[in-house]
Amino acid sequence: MADPSVIGLGKPFIRRSRLKQLFSSQKTAPYVFVLPFILSFLVFFLYPIVSTVIMSFQRIDGPGDITFIGLQNYKNLLNPHFFNAVWLTTRYTFWTILVLVPLPLVLSIFLNKKTTIGKNFFRSAFFMPALTSVIVAGLFFRLAFGEQQTTLVNSMLGVFGIKPTIWLQDADASMFVMVLLCTWRWMGVNIIYFLSGLQGIPEELYEAAAIDGASEFEQFLHITLPSLKPVIMYVVTISVYGGYSMFAESFALWNGPRSPGEIGMTIVNYIYQEGFNNNNLGFGSAIGIALFAIVMAVNLLQLFSSGFFKKEGT
Amino acid sequence: MKKSLAILLSTVLLLAMILSGCGAKTSTAKTGDIKPTTLNFWTFQELHKGFMDDAVATWNKNHPDKPIVLKTDVYPYDEQHNKLLIALQSGTGAPDIVDIEISKFANFLKGSKPGLVELNDVVEPVKDKLIMGRMENYAKDGKYYGIDYHVGAEVMYYNKALFEQAGVNINDIVTWDDYIAAGKKIVEKTGKPMTTLETTEHWSYYPLINMQGSDLLGKNGEVILDNEINKKTLEMLKDMLYKDKIAVPAPGGFHHSEEYWAWMNKGNAASVWMPMWYMGRFVQYMPDLKGQMVIRPMPIFPGGKKSAGMGGTGTAITTQGKNIELAKQFLAEAKLSKDGSIKTWSLLGFDPIRSDAWTDPAMSADNKYTDYFGTDIFNTLKAVIGDIGSINVGAKFPNAITLLQKNICFKVLKEQSQTPEQALKEAAEELRTK
Amino acid sequence: MKTKAGSKAASLLIFLVLTVFAIFCLAPFFFLLISSLRPGAEMIRNGISFNVDFTALNLNNYWLLLEGKDGIYLLWYINSAIITVLHTLLSLLVTSMVGYGLAMYEFKGKNLIFTIVLVVMMIPVEILILPLYKLAIGIEMINTYMGVIMPFVVAPMSIFFFRQYAESLPKELLDAGRIDGCGEFRIFFQIMMPLMLPAFGAMGILQAMFSWNGFVWPLIVLRSNDMLTLPIGLQSLITPYGNNYDMLFPGAVMSVIPIILLFIINQKAFISGLTVGGVKG
Repeated sequence: MADPSVIGLGKPFIRRSRLKQLFSSQKTAPYVFVLPFILSFLVFFLYPIVSTVIMSFQRIDGPGDITFIGLQNYKNLLNPHFFNAVWLTTRYTFWTILVLVPLPLVLSIFLNKKTTIGKNFFRSAFFMPALTSVIVAGLFFRLAFGEQQTTLVNSMLGVFGIKPTIWLQDADASMFVMVLLCTWRWMGVNIIYFLSGLQGIPEELYEAAAIDGASEFEQFLHITLPSLKPVIMYVVTISVYGGYSMFAESFALWNGPRSPGEIGMTIVNYIYQEGFNNNNLGFGSAIGIALFAIVMAVNLLQLFSSGFFKKEGT
Repeated sequence: MKKSLAILLSTVLLLAMILSGCGAKTSTAKTGDIKPTTLNFWTFQELHKGFMDDAVATWNKNHPDKPIVLKTDVYPYDEQHNKLLIALQSGTGAPDIVDIEISKFANFLKGSKPGLVELNDVVEPVKDKLIMGRMENYAKDGKYYGIDYHVGAEVMYYNKALFEQAGVNINDIVTWDDYIAAGKKIVEKTGKPMTTLETTEHWSYYPLINMQGSDLLGKNGEVILDNEINKKTLEMLKDMLYKDKIAVPAPGGFHHSEEYWAWMNKGNAASVWMPMWYMGRFVQYMPDLKGQMVIRPMPIFPGGKKSAGMGGTGTAITTQGKNIELAKQFLAEAKLSKDGSIKTWSLLGFDPIRSDAWTDPAMSADNKYTDYFGTDIFNTLKAVIGDIGSINVGAKFPNAITLLQKNICFKVLKEQSQTPEQALKEAAEELRTK
Repeated sequence: MKTKAGSKAASLLIFLVLTVFAIFCLAPFFFLLISSLRPGAEMIRNGISFNVDFTALNLNNYWLLLEGKDGIYLLWYINSAIITVLHTLLSLLVTSMVGYGLAMYEFKGKNLIFTIVLVVMMIPVEILILPLYKLAIGIEMINTYMGVIMPFVVAPMSIFFFRQYAESLPKELLDAGRIDGCGEFRIFFQIMMPLMLPAFGAMGILQAMFSWNGFVWPLIVLRSNDMLTLPIGLQSLITPYGNNYDMLFPGAVMSVIPIILLFIINQKAFISGLTVGGVKG
């Protein structure tokens, strides 16, 4: 790592002007520290949100060709494509959470055991997929799950006498492929999160429990799980975030936002299709607002149910 | 050794160029002492690049006073159209000349100020020589914005070997009833399906309704998707798959998928109907069928037309170019002239849009397509060219095509989760409210 | 109390389970590598498959990668590298400052800002692609490196992480620094930053990974073929009008290699950055 203090930041320390004194006084310094975030938030977050709200009430036919149409875009939202996209994305998110919390948790406990051999190798192996881009992963899964008899997955199933499946033209089969792709890419990342949580648990707790005669499973239930609660919550939160904003996986599998029978049409795919393929910026914005509302609702629900806000007061 | 050295050198050069802040520019080849004008061209079809490069060479020969350098970018289909929309909306970044596919064209004619240049002054003079039905697809309010490459006549590709094996004569097939009866024989004798049907695109269904004078949209852009003919035709396709069992869903879902090409290349189906321009896909992706395939007119419906004009790509000029007039002149020579029209056949295997090209002896000369399909392709084409259904492209066309591809065909023919009537009605109602 | 044999068996079982999942994680890499050495026509015919003709494997595709399409692939590579390096350096600098500021100081509005960080973290950026795209047009950032980088440099996740990490820094050092007459920034850059190195390592890898593999936003911002990044470029090789599998697979392999190397080199920093709760550097 290059030390950023080397990069042109030596300059201010040469002259100790009054301005600099004020600038780096204890009172103002914290504001300077957080300034980049405030600026970025205003320009690249708040302003776009406001402008997307405005756009969602408009029909935009081109530069300078804008008509205010009131709630029409929102009325148009109530269509089967949108409902399908919401339902599909929700299902996808549900499955990814169902797989990507317990599985990495168990594997990370295995990895954390003193007796396990090859810890470092496994940890790296699990993490490797996260290093690939979605497109590379999608390319592999698309062709491994090809419909010919000769493809990787179909020939494996053939060993067990299962007929070749047409994976990417069936709602359930393709959901499986999407969740598997997600699992492949994110399992290792979640394992790292859980490992860091596990290593934060004091060894003495386990030793004391062992002396009291608690079995390994009891130790897991009464020590490991409660201690990992914040990590689990964090993982669930980013899974909700990732699940509802899924776009590239589907884009890579079907080579674009549109899939047969809309079996891969996530909400963001829908935004992309309407905004960029069909040139309906206004309608696309309305979908964006709807997605915003959904994600906020789901996250708040999850935080409330896990008692996040109660703890904040302490 | 030499090779790696060259690569090393070019890498260094590339780096030097990038670091010095100039991108990879096209070299300005000196023709005479006039500096050539660079025009940018976007397409989503590699083959079109070859055609245009050839047209540029011709242009530079004919007009040494106005030389052109064409810088072509080939993008994926959806990506190119999205990029163009972005460029036209933002007012910068559009190319001079661009290929726009027919089912996307209406997106670019929205609003009161299209970002495309009106081409009437080059179209009007040759109006009587053009198959004008093709030009109307890229027009709005009497203004022409795009020039097509081809007529896109729908034809049937038959696999001779399988027909001989089953003892069926291809030339006996005239009507769709004949076709279905022949299909049953083929299945019985060879165990292979008569044909494949697209379940995620529209090339199997759309030409059939079109040959019967029906369409997705009416003359004035009104939705007629759920009319009786369309219902019946979709029933017919569904029956081919599940009742007569002479067809199977196309591997990969459509006739442009690798799965289909690989499968078909092994001679797994006895026929397929696709437009004339699909010849190029056979030649490129199904080399093993060379000499086995023949091209014949479509089976006909009672009182219907002999063929349909399917697909198409309108080459347009954007208003952002700096040399609009030059681009227009070049495009007219490349695609509206008789020689240009003949080139679409000899280079691309497309059926030309100029009617006077059809009678030219150059058209019956051998090329890679006659090598593959035999020398009678052109006569087949001539037999149907006078009786081709045209399509109505309204503002709702892009949406209609998408619904047809991803919902109607898929849900009815593949998932079987909806009846033809349900699917068509649902889609039609959605289109009407838009 | 467990017997020795029992725990041995359990260890073996655990080892087996881990091995199965490791194969699941690594197999795709193996097949991608093999596929990149096979003729493209074979891929079109059979997809990715087990029946590999090992005698027919060759490096031809890799030559094609360098020469095909006027060497555009190298250009994509360079674009990706520039964007990744710029993004990572900028991002580490600003997010570490913000995270540190939030952890170390008490000031008015601190809780509000931290709440906003959390909220922004919870909002998928994909929601904003349309307005951001309009904004990018407005400030003329379309088809530029900065256009790809700027909106996501101040990554809330990274801020959150640095804040968590900085919480564990000894506040006494801050006071000691002040007694020595250092300004707040000098304390940060000269005393605290070295202590936060593991966090820099971890976030550096993560940010570089996000940037190198970024897809949604570059897909929208980048327009001309010579400005594309690797993922977008590779995606553009797959079209219904002819798939360039012979370039696609080696391209994919080459795009994975640098990020894996980076990971292997920095693995220690990365793992310790994520797993060390204490102040040990």
